[in-house]
Amino acid sequence: MARLMLLLWSLGPMLWQLYSSLRSSEALSGLGAGGWTFENYRQLLQGDPPFLTYLINSVVVGASSTALTLALAVPCAYALSRLGRRQARALTALVAAAAAFPAVLLFLALLELARDWHLANQLLALSLPYAGLCLPLAILLLQAAFADIPIELEEAALIEGMGLWQRLRWILLPLMAPAMASSALLVFLFSWNEYPIALTWLSRTELLTLAPAMARIAGSSVYTIPYGAFAAATVLGSAPLILLMLLFQRQIISGLTQGAIKG
Amino acid sequence: MSGPMSAGDGFQGLELRHLSRRVGSHTLVDQLSLTVAPGEILALLGPSGCGKSSTLRLIAGLDPASSGEIQLGGRNITALPPAERQVAMVFQSYALFPHLSVERNLSLGMELRGMGRAEIQRDLNQVLALMELEGLRQRKPAELSGGQRQRVALARALIRRPALFLLDEPMSNLDAQLRDNLRAELRTLLRSTGVPVVYVTHDQHEAMGLADRIAVLREGRLQQLGTAERLYRDPANRFVARFLGSPTINLIERGTTQLGLRPEVLELTDAGSPVPHGWEALEGQLSHREWLGDRVISHVQCAEQGTLRVLSREAPTSSALQVRWRQADALRFDARSGERLPGSNTPHTD
Amino acid sequence: MRWRLWLLMAPALALLLAIFAAPLLHYLWLSTQAQSVLTGLQPQPIRAQQWLRLWNDGRFWQDTWQTLRFSAASVSLEMLLGLAVALLLNQPLRGRGLLRTISLLPWALPTTVMALGWRWIFNDPYGPISRLLAGLELPAIPFLSNPALTWMATVGADTWKTTPFVALLLLAGLQTIPADLYEAAALEGATPWKTLRRITLPLLTPYLLIALLFRLAQALGVFDLIQVLTGGGPAGSTESLALYAYLNAMRFLDFGYSATLLLGSFAILLILCGAGALIWRWSLRWQGSLR
Repeated sequence: MARLMLLLWSLGPMLWQLYSSLRSSEALSGLGAGGWTFENYRQLLQGDPPFLTYLINSVVVGASSTALTLALAVPCAYALSRLGRRQARALTALVAAAAAFPAVLLFLALLELARDWHLANQLLALSLPYAGLCLPLAILLLQAAFADIPIELEEAALIEGMGLWQRLRWILLPLMAPAMASSALLVFLFSWNEYPIALTWLSRTELLTLAPAMARIAGSSVYTIPYGAFAAATVLGSAPLILLMLLFQRQIISGLTQGAIKG
Repeated sequence: MSGPMSAGDGFQGLELRHLSRRVGSHTLVDQLSLTVAPGEILALLGPSGCGKSSTLRLIAGLDPASSGEIQLGGRNITALPPAERQVAMVFQSYALFPHLSVERNLSLGMELRGMGRAEIQRDLNQVLALMELEGLRQRKPAELSGGQRQRVALARALIRRPALFLLDEPMSNLDAQLRDNLRAELRTLLRSTGVPVVYVTHDQHEAMGLADRIAVLREGRLQQLGTAERLYRDPANRFVARFLGSPTINLIERGTTQLGLRPEVLELTDAGSPVPHGWEALEGQLSHREWLGDRVISHVQCAEQGTLRVLSREAPTSSALQVRWRQADALRFDARSGERLPGSNTPHTD
Repeated sequence: MRWRLWLLMAPALALLLAIFAAPLLHYLWLSTQAQSVLTGLQPQPIRAQQWLRLWNDGRFWQDTWQTLRFSAASVSLEMLLGLAVALLLNQPLRGRGLLRTISLLPWALPTTVMALGWRWIFNDPYGPISRLLAGLELPAIPFLSNPALTWMATVGADTWKTTPFVALLLLAGLQTIPADLYEAAALEGATPWKTLRRITLPLLTPYLLIALLFRLAQALGVFDLIQVLTGGGPAGSTESLALYAYLNAMRFLDFGYSATLLLGSFAILLILCGAGALIWRWSLRWQGSLR
């Protein structure tokens, strides 16, 4: 029934990748009976550079982007939630518009930025544009979460003698933990997915993050029969994210849902 | 008509001098002046929007005053931030920190102020014992009942040994039964602290049961300040007369004045009975009655004057009735302004 | 005290301006320059010539048409399927949570990763679709080599990835509809179709519009999928505006014109989404007048 179809539709292509990755090239091309093999994976993991490099690069970029985004978004969201209604609404609308903006249109200017400031081929530098691109969604999410905290809590803390920093540290941020987790995950996912900027900022093979690395692999002719290696790349590239999704499904979903409701 | 308008310097309690707060064109608190002596409980009473919560927030320092002064223990605290006012506040929702245990809720403020561990522990144990919260030390607010949460909120205020207590409708979140039971305990507790207490409520029973004096507010302005008895027997205007007393006072038209008749000063006899000297009466029909166990409220339809509520011990036996009262028991108000008019019954107490 | 709030917002706002506003302004300037290999990679002011060139550029208009076609098809499909999936997931079923997560997996995977996979899936004759068709003795469908079909393959791949996002958004909206409304409708004997039309859709409208505008904006900028799946081919039939702009900058090294193209794309985006937002305002007023 419908649920089964949804399951097949969602998982089908990925399962097929998995299947292909474990098949030898003969089996895939339909020439002769071939067996199941891990050869494809071995090729990737021992390649030059080994496939894991790309994953690690993505993790580095993801982590730094997440840290930077949160560091900027949390104070901004707090201020926005405490600002007067009229001003906040105008700013929020602008931020929401920015969230929908297709980032690829910015690639040229960002490329020149990278050139002028020598940011090219530096993994950590990528966190700047990534944080900038993720800020809108993070701000929207966090602002909504701040607004959900009753202002009386902050007032009680104020009367207890807590300064702004103390209120944030002891009262507000602990209550924001779920929202921050959701935002962090969304930023992390974004940076793994991001392509045009990583493509234009990184040229050295060993520095590539996952997305441009896959594109480069795809660029080498796919019309050669050993598609198995490509399938293996797809599986390895997807695995961390699938794992992430399964582990943190609630936070990710609630983050998107909150963004929708308040957006 | 009320307490001293302005206490001299050195007065150790709370004093508000012409306190006002305006937001835009809207005046929330209008030239409010009153004093609260140490150990005295003052209730700010009035309908929603009358400015009582606004006043509380001004005293706490959560909102800035537009004009006027707030003095506490001889210090002018009008310009001070909340942290420096030595004021403790219990919010209507209690505002307990949901992610902290009861213990932490109480101790966090002290920890951040740099108090010693031993000292904090000592104060904690003292307050927890006083409020009977010892067994709940480690619980989070979500695991507590309404009454328990209220005690934690009170404990948090007590532990600070403030110079002033502010409470914003702290009973409103409790069920009626609990409220009645806790009222006496709360009163004893608050009085024992020896500092002034200001209490906001919209419930006249609560005000009358808890406070030493009551300040009735309407649209930001003080209507009358005095003991419950004074406000009840000797209201300054129609608003105060109507606000206090249950069932509500009856008002009948007499040309340019209105007569205020408390349900308990009205008597019921059979219709057409002769009216004694010094009494007045109206004829009417019993429309319905509420039997409440120890008393009966009869609703009597009197032509032109509407329905009068009469409080008596027993139910009337017929439906054609005469409602009568001693002229001396009637309160007289100006029909237009609602101000109380002096009559022969104005008591001369103060 | 107010100023302290603005201070808190300053770093974030600064970065936002640097990332969103500055580039657009920069493009505005750059589009009035010629900066390419021909000018030794130095900007030479030529005022509106780039725009004239844009206006007369057949490839630009071709790509505009292709991008619009892609966006229209993709977004429509996503909205329909997304709504269907959301309605399905809104039912209280066992394993609903897991199903929801699994259905979200396509969205979480990087486009370029799956694009490689799609290239093989659509491959003729070795891909699974072709082999299935062959096995059923049906004629093969040359997805990636027939210009009339390739764009549909891109729509398919895009829909697969983004439907879950739309579905999640709409699901959030569905869950804000109080259950009593449905119960009341059931008591009055309303058919599922009627319930959908009279209760669900009107209350879901804001979410539908948000999803629509969001997806439209994103679809108009499609780049990753096209570049990896088809490279713009065959014969440039799937080339999108973003890809064209990218080629101008990275391959032809014509930065001035690339900026012009990017601004042109942005203009198209503004017009369409602006129109969408206006329709939303109008629909809100219309809804309000219905009450």
